[in-house]
Amino acid sequence: MGIELVKEKYSGGINTVEIGKAGRGPVKIGGETTLPFLFEEGQMPHPPIAGLEVFDCEPVDWPEPLKKAWGDSLKDPVKWAQRCVSEFGAKILCVRMQSIHPDWGGRPSDEAVATLKAMAQAVKVPLVVLGCGDDDKDNEALPKASQALKGENCLFGIATQDNYKTLTATCLADGHSIIADSPIDINIAKQLNILISDMGFDPKRIAMHPTTASLGYGMEYVYSIMERARLAAFIGDKMLSMPLALFVGQEAWKVKEAKELGEKQGVNWETATSVAMLQAGADLLVVRHPETARLVTKYIDMIMRKR
Amino acid sequence: MSEFVVTFEPHNKHVIVPRGTDLLTACLRAGIFLSASCGGEGLCGKCKVVVRKGAVKSERSRLVSEEERKKGVVLACESIVESDLEVFIPQESIETHPHLTAESEECAPDMLPEEDLPFKHAPMVEKIYLELDRPTHEDSISDLGRIYKALEDRFKTMSVSTHLANVKHLGDVLRESDFKVTATVGYKDGAFEILALEPGDTTRLNYGFAFDIGTTTVTGELIDLHSKKVLATRIAYNRQAGYGSDIITRIIYGSTPEGLEKLSEAIVSNIDEMVEDMAEACEINLATVGAVLCAGNVTMMHLLLKIDPTHIRKEPYVATVTAFPTTPISEVGIELNPKGLFFSVPGVATYVGGDIVAGVLSSGLYKEEDLALLIDIGTNGEIVLGNKEWMIGAAASAGPAFEGSGLAFGMKAVKGAIQKVSIDEKLGVACETIGSDKPRGICGSGYIDLLFQMAKRKIIARNGKIDRGLASKRIRKNEYGYEFVVAFKDESAVGKDIVITEDDIENLKRAKGAIYSAIISLLDKVGKKAEDLKRIYIAGGFGSYINVESAVSIGLLPDIDRKLYAYIGNSSLAGARLSLLSREAFLKTHEIHKGITYLDLSSEPRYMDEYIASLFFPHTDMGRFPSVRL
Repeated sequence: MGIELVKEKYSGGINTVEIGKAGRGPVKIGGETTLPFLFEEGQMPHPPIAGLEVFDCEPVDWPEPLKKAWGDSLKDPVKWAQRCVSEFGAKILCVRMQSIHPDWGGRPSDEAVATLKAMAQAVKVPLVVLGCGDDDKDNEALPKASQALKGENCLFGIATQDNYKTLTATCLADGHSIIADSPIDINIAKQLNILISDMGFDPKRIAMHPTTASLGYGMEYVYSIMERARLAAFIGDKMLSMPLALFVGQEAWKVKEAKELGEKQGVNWETATSVAMLQAGADLLVVRHPETARLVTKYIDMIMRKR
Repeated sequence: MSEFVVTFEPHNKHVIVPRGTDLLTACLRAGIFLSASCGGEGLCGKCKVVVRKGAVKSERSRLVSEEERKKGVVLACESIVESDLEVFIPQESIETHPHLTAESEECAPDMLPEEDLPFKHAPMVEKIYLELDRPTHEDSISDLGRIYKALEDRFKTMSVSTHLANVKHLGDVLRESDFKVTATVGYKDGAFEILALEPGDTTRLNYGFAFDIGTTTVTGELIDLHSKKVLATRIAYNRQAGYGSDIITRIIYGSTPEGLEKLSEAIVSNIDEMVEDMAEACEINLATVGAVLCAGNVTMMHLLLKIDPTHIRKEPYVATVTAFPTTPISEVGIELNPKGLFFSVPGVATYVGGDIVAGVLSSGLYKEEDLALLIDIGTNGEIVLGNKEWMIGAAASAGPAFEGSGLAFGMKAVKGAIQKVSIDEKLGVACETIGSDKPRGICGSGYIDLLFQMAKRKIIARNGKIDRGLASKRIRKNEYGYEFVVAFKDESAVGKDIVITEDDIENLKRAKGAIYSAIISLLDKVGKKAEDLKRIYIAGGFGSYINVESAVSIGLLPDIDRKLYAYIGNSSLAGARLSLLSREAFLKTHEIHKGITYLDLSSEPRYMDEYIASLFFPHTDMGRFPSVRL
C-alpha cells in the first residue's frame, strides 16, 4: 500500500508584480499558491530571480574580495551595469543611488539622476532603483529619478513606515512599483502595505522587504517572518500577499566571515544566505558578486525543473 | 533657626520647611510639580530653578552650564535649603501644564449609590445608639460589660473590644447620659472595636471618606454613612508625580527610607487637603469622621502606608502585601480622628490592585451569569474577564494618556475639559466641554473622540501621522513635528491654541494598543473571542461620558454590539464607597481578590505581537473591525 502525501490547499495566493516593459524584460515575480517549491501543492508560475546590484558611484566600502571580482569597472557605473548584463547575464539590475548620501559626498540629485539615466539607457533589463537610505536626500532625489524613468515600470525603493508618502506619490504618478520595508515585523509590514494602498496605490504593485539578515546574523528570524507572511497570504490576507524582495548582497558582505576569509568564502556566504531565503519564499534576490548570481540562478533552474 | 520660608515665583507661593529640605520637596509642598523624570536623583536635569535670594547648598552638576550657574540656576533636587529663599521656577521645569493645578478640584460624583444598596447597609464604622438598663444590686454587671453585652447581642458575636482610653471616664459618661450613649464601633479583622463612646444619640453624625488612589490621579468622596449619601467629591493629581510620573521611578525613589517618607508625605498631603476641603464645604467636624477606606493599586498602597516597595520591581515582581491590614488612621498620618480606622480593598497581585477588585465589586462582574469583562482605564489598563464561576485579570501598561497625563493639552475630566469633539468635512471643529466652560484642555474621552474624528476626516493616516498635504490652518508644523489645532486661542481659556500633536497621537495609540491587546490576550488565554462577551463594563476617570463608537473605531475596544457596553465611571471609587457603607460588601472584596487568577502579560509570548498589530487605527487586522469605516 502506497503512502499518500498530505497536501495543503490554500485559498489565497501571492500577487504577481511585473517589472520592466517590452524591450526591457519584462520579468514577473510572485504568483505562488504554495510554499516554496512544493509543486504538488500549488503553483509557482514565475521562478524566483537573482539580480545584481550596482552603485551609481564607486562602492568604496565594499570588501576587497568583492571589489576584486569587478575590478576597475566599479569606477564607471555605466560600464559596470553593462558588464552585469552582457558578461554575467543578469536578468534584472538593482541600481542604488548611493552617491547622494551625505556621508558619500552628497552628490546633487540632478547629477545622480543623470548617471542613473545613462545606466538605464546602457542596459535593456528591468530595473530596481534604490535611494541611499537618507530620508531627506531620498525624498529629493527619488521623485526626480522616478520621473526620469517614467514609463519604464521600475521597482522603486525603499518605502518605510516613517517615510513612504513621497515615494508612493511619485511611483503612482510615474507608473512604477514600490518596495515596502519593515523591520522583521509582520505587523509593520502589513501596516505599511495598508498605508501605501490607502494613498490609492495598487497593492498588486507592491513588493515587500521583510529585512534581510545574513547567515549567522539573524537570518532565521527573517526566515520565520517570511514564512508567517506567506501563510497569512495563503489563507487570504490580501495585505500580506506581496512578493518578497531580499537584499542579500548588502548583508552577506558585511559580515567578517565573508569579508576576511577570501573571495570563495564570501561567495559561499552570499550563496548560502540566498538559498535559505529562496526556501523561505524570496521572489527577488539582489546579490553583489557575479559568481553568487551564477550559482543562485543555477540552483533556481535546478529546483524549478521539478515543476 | 531651623525653619525657613521659601517663596516660589511666579506662583507667589510660600512654604515653611526645615533646614536640610531639598528644593524639589519644598516645591512639592507648595503644590508645584517640577519635572523630575529621574525621580530626584540629579540625573535628568529637568528640575532647574533659579535661586534669586538666599542660600542653598547645591551639588555641582554637569547638567547645569557655567553660564546658567552664574545666573543662579540649580537643580532643585540637588539643592538644600540653607536660608529663607526666593526661587524662580522657569516654565519648562514645570511637569504639567499651567492650566492644571495641583489643588484638588470639584467633580461631579459619577455614580451615586442606588437607593437600595446591593448589600446590607452596615458601615465599616457604625454608630450604635444604646439605651442601657441602669445597674442594680441584682444586675450588677460592670459598665463596660453592660456595653459589651448590648453590642454582643446586637452583632451576634463575642468579639467586641475597646481601648483603655475609652473607658477611663465611662462611669461618668453613662450616668450623666442616663445610660443612653452612642458607641462608635469599627469592624476590624472579623471583630468589633469600640472606637468612641459619647452621650446621647449621635447616630446621625457618622461620616467616612472613600478614596481611589491612582498613580496619576486621586479621587475622594465624603459619604454620610447614616443616610448613604455622597456629600462631596474631589479629584486631584497624585503629588507623588513630582518624584517621577511613572510607577517604576517611584518604586526606585521609595526604596530608601527617606524617599519612602517623602512619597508617603506627598500622598498624605493630597488626602489631607481633599479631606479638609470636602469637610469644610459640607460643614462637617472632622472629629466625627471615623473611617477612611481606600481602593488603590498595590504600589500606591505600599507608598501610602510606608511599606518598602523595593521588591515589587525585582524578579519575580512580588509585592510585600496585597491585602493590607486595617489600621488606626493615626498610623497612616492622615489628619482625622486618630482613633478612626483606615481600611483598604485587597488586591489580586502586584499590578492588579484593590482598585480593580473594588471595580469588580461595584460593577457586579463577580455575579454575572454570562461572560463579562471589566476594563478600568487608568494609568494602567486593568482588565478582569469572567463571570460568577471564575475570573482572570491582567494589567496592560497603557500609560496615563487617557487620564490626560503626558499630552500637550491633556487634563483630568474636570470643568473646562473638552470631552466631546466632532469635525466637519471642511475640518471645522465643534467641541463640548465639561461644564460648558471655555476649553482649558482635553480629557480622555475628548481624545478618543478627537482621534476618531481625525481619522474619519483623513487628517491622520492609519498610523496616526498627520497629513501634511491637507490645506487647513489647523494643521501646522511645530518644533518636533506636526500638530492639529482643536481650539484657537480666542476660543480657549488658556490664552493659547489648544492642539493635539503627533507625539500625543503616538502616545494615545500605544495606550489604546496596550489595552486592546490585553483584552484579546486575556480572551485568547481562556479560549474565548470578543464575540463571546455578553457584557463589557468600561471604567475610568472619563467624567460622565465616553463615546463607545469612537472608542471602537480607534481600536481601543473590540468591535462588538455597542449595546453590550456600559460605562460605569470610577468603579474603583464606587467599590470603595460600597465597602465603606457595607461590611458585607467589604467582606465580598476579600472573596473577590482570592477568586481572580492573575495573568502576567509580560510572560505571554503572543502579547507583544498582538500589541504591535494594534498600533494602527483601528488595527492592522481590519477583519477584526468589520463595522469600522475610516
